[in-house]
Amino acid sequence: MMAAAPQPAPGQRLPPPRSQVGISGWMRENLFSTRYNALLTVISAAIIVLALVYGLRWVIAGADWSVIAVLGGQLVIGQYNTEGACPGQNCFWRPQVALMLVSALFGMAWGMGGGEVAKRIGIGVVVLLALFAFLPYSFERMGMDVRLLLAANIPALLAGWAVARYVGMTMRGMVIYIAAAFIVTVILLRGLPGIPGLQPVLVIYWGGLTLNLLLAVVGIGASLPIGIALALGRRSNLPLVKLLCVVFIEVFRGVPLITLLFMSQVLVPLAFPEDFNTNSLLRAGIVITLFSSAYMAENIRGGLQALHPGQAEAARALGLPGWQTTLLISLPQAIRNVIPAIVGQFIALFKDTSLVYIIGMLDVVEFSRAFIQGNTEYLSSAKEVFIFLALVFWIFTYTMSYVSGKVEEHLGVGQR
Amino acid sequence: MRRLLTYQGVEVWRHTKIIQWTLQVVSGILVVVLVAWFFTNIVTAVQEREIPHGWGFLDREYQTPIGHTFIPYESSDSFSYALGAAVVNTVVVSIVGVILATMLGIFIGVARLSSNWLVSHLAMVYIEFFRNVPLLVQLFFWFYIILALPPVREGYVIGGGLFINNGGFSLPFPNATGAGPAAVWAVLAAGGLAAGYAAFRLLTAREVHTGQKSYPLMGGVGTAIAIGAIAWIIVSLAAGDAPYGISSPEPQGRFGRIVGGFTAPAGLIVLLVGLVTYTASFIAEIVRAGIQSVRRGQIEASRALGLSPMETLRYVTFPQSLRVIIPPLISQCLNLTKNSSLAGAIGYSDLTNVAKTMTQTAPSVSIFLLIMVAYLAMSLTYSLIGNLYNRHIRFTGG
Repeated sequence: MMAAAPQPAPGQRLPPPRSQVGISGWMRENLFSTRYNALLTVISAAIIVLALVYGLRWVIAGADWSVIAVLGGQLVIGQYNTEGACPGQNCFWRPQVALMLVSALFGMAWGMGGGEVAKRIGIGVVVLLALFAFLPYSFERMGMDVRLLLAANIPALLAGWAVARYVGMTMRGMVIYIAAAFIVTVILLRGLPGIPGLQPVLVIYWGGLTLNLLLAVVGIGASLPIGIALALGRRSNLPLVKLLCVVFIEVFRGVPLITLLFMSQVLVPLAFPEDFNTNSLLRAGIVITLFSSAYMAENIRGGLQALHPGQAEAARALGLPGWQTTLLISLPQAIRNVIPAIVGQFIALFKDTSLVYIIGMLDVVEFSRAFIQGNTEYLSSAKEVFIFLALVFWIFTYTMSYVSGKVEEHLGVGQR
Repeated sequence: MRRLLTYQGVEVWRHTKIIQWTLQVVSGILVVVLVAWFFTNIVTAVQEREIPHGWGFLDREYQTPIGHTFIPYESSDSFSYALGAAVVNTVVVSIVGVILATMLGIFIGVARLSSNWLVSHLAMVYIEFFRNVPLLVQLFFWFYIILALPPVREGYVIGGGLFINNGGFSLPFPNATGAGPAAVWAVLAAGGLAAGYAAFRLLTAREVHTGQKSYPLMGGVGTAIAIGAIAWIIVSLAAGDAPYGISSPEPQGRFGRIVGGFTAPAGLIVLLVGLVTYTASFIAEIVRAGIQSVRRGQIEASRALGLSPMETLRYVTFPQSLRVIIPPLISQCLNLTKNSSLAGAIGYSDLTNVAKTMTQTAPSVSIFLLIMVAYLAMSLTYSLIGNLYNRHIRFTGG
């Protein structure tokens, strides 16, 4: 007589077999499910190990990171504090205060109860600044202790947090603060003639990451409303408005940004009267904004098209006038649907700010390239510079896509 | 007939239609005035500041060397020919880049969806990194990598034919021994390709209709190769020499100029590597979204019919996902073409870079008009091809 297999008592739940749980179960499921899969795992593991071994060996032993320290604060402000830009005085504090205003903004977003995301970003900013503050900068080039000024961002952030937490901050207050901070930043960077310490600094000396961020902020702030207007115009039933919007969008989308920037350099001085004062920064900002808004318009148009027509019809049936239907019913839903595309465009815009090299502006990328070109002793560590820049850009862009993912989650996209 | 859109009465200033038309007319007039103002300003500036203008420059000699061209170019050639050579450069970069980026992008997109945890996360790291870093930074990175290679004289030689050095990559390339036989063979070989394709279609149809194994791929390729080989022998016998020889790169001179073969200059390599790795990360995301858009039932059904995972992807999932993939893929191809204008930063002579140099000796307004038209034409061509293909693969309801 054969021994009966142990039968579970009725109602008793047996644990899953050992091969399906724990680390070994996970590996069996995800790495070695078939022979072919196991082969793939071995190949990718080999790639990862090789990349890690050689990459880490190079990063620690092979690479020469001293060039980053030499570039130091110039990566952030470019030529702003050189003798030509700011003769006879130290101007480093001006972009620095502007940076602190931004830090305070992060702090406010955190203190307002922006939730886990704002908190994480706030802490991330603090950690990053602290990290940067303790990198070995070359002080001779900067003239003032950059570390102190970078570290000053941390109290600024905490101050912003405290204000929002204990004094109270509304959404409207935030908008006012952002507008005020922007104006103060521009005044600080430009300077005011006649005021001691605020000597005017020509925009050709603006540079570094400050320039990238400034262009990105202006572009993001302006291209969204312009893009919305263009998208609505393209869907409008007024033939002339529609035609104008289509021509604008297609021309700006069909030509490379770099070509447009270079054209602005050559054509804009011709297209305006000679005494019309346009500087290269303003031109770059306008071209980047217009270029980006053409792409933005197409994203938003996609969102509007995906919207069920019943929404607008219901709003009209409830008696809302046309503009209210658009502003309160169609647009919010359309934008919510295309948040990833919009943020993707913001990221593209931020990356595109590096193209201003074509009109001779020294943004962080061009400044580094020119530095390497001018100091050939650093030619062999050019790779290190661009890996560092890649990392800096990556931190910004990845944060943007992370926030967008969280916002989407919060708004329940794809769940409703 | 739709009722006139009215809002609480029909006073003129509240009448929607009238408001709309007034707005249209006003915006139209504004745009016309603005454009006219710009135009008169440009005309005045051109006349007052004696800026060169017009189209006469097109027939003049350009008299400036261009770093690299795919079609033969001399400094004594005209501006119009130089612009044409620059357009060819951009078009070649764009076509080669699009093909390579699509292949790499599909590979990484499929890897991203792999059930193997390690493979899919490797693909994710690739995508997240290359997508989020400015192309310019990546191009400079590759540029300085190539610059760190040894000079021509001390460069690497792989297998006696492939030369790798800081001037670029050189490899053996077929070259025609005589114009006549080469052209005859090329025509015959093209005919062979057409015949091969026809054989492939016929054998496929036969396999579909009768269910017998007909080996369409082998048959088609075999037909093409056979016709090509027979043509080669006939042309060789008739002309007394093979229609094509192999030209191998040879370093010459003290500073090592490479003569013969095909040399891809460093700028071209950097541009292609940068554009392909960057664009592939976007294409990978498009491919992933496309494959995910195919309903699960399709995959389950094909697995139930006994298709392997690879066959499921090849015959069921991927063909269906193309409908979702193609439109954004076209816009990525356009982006690659437009991004190739960054070539100037790394010293490759693409359309924008050549045009930028030209503005020093020729009227800038005319040159800008020309390159805008060239880029718009490229965009439209890509859109047209893509839309035709899209029409070909969309649901026909059958």
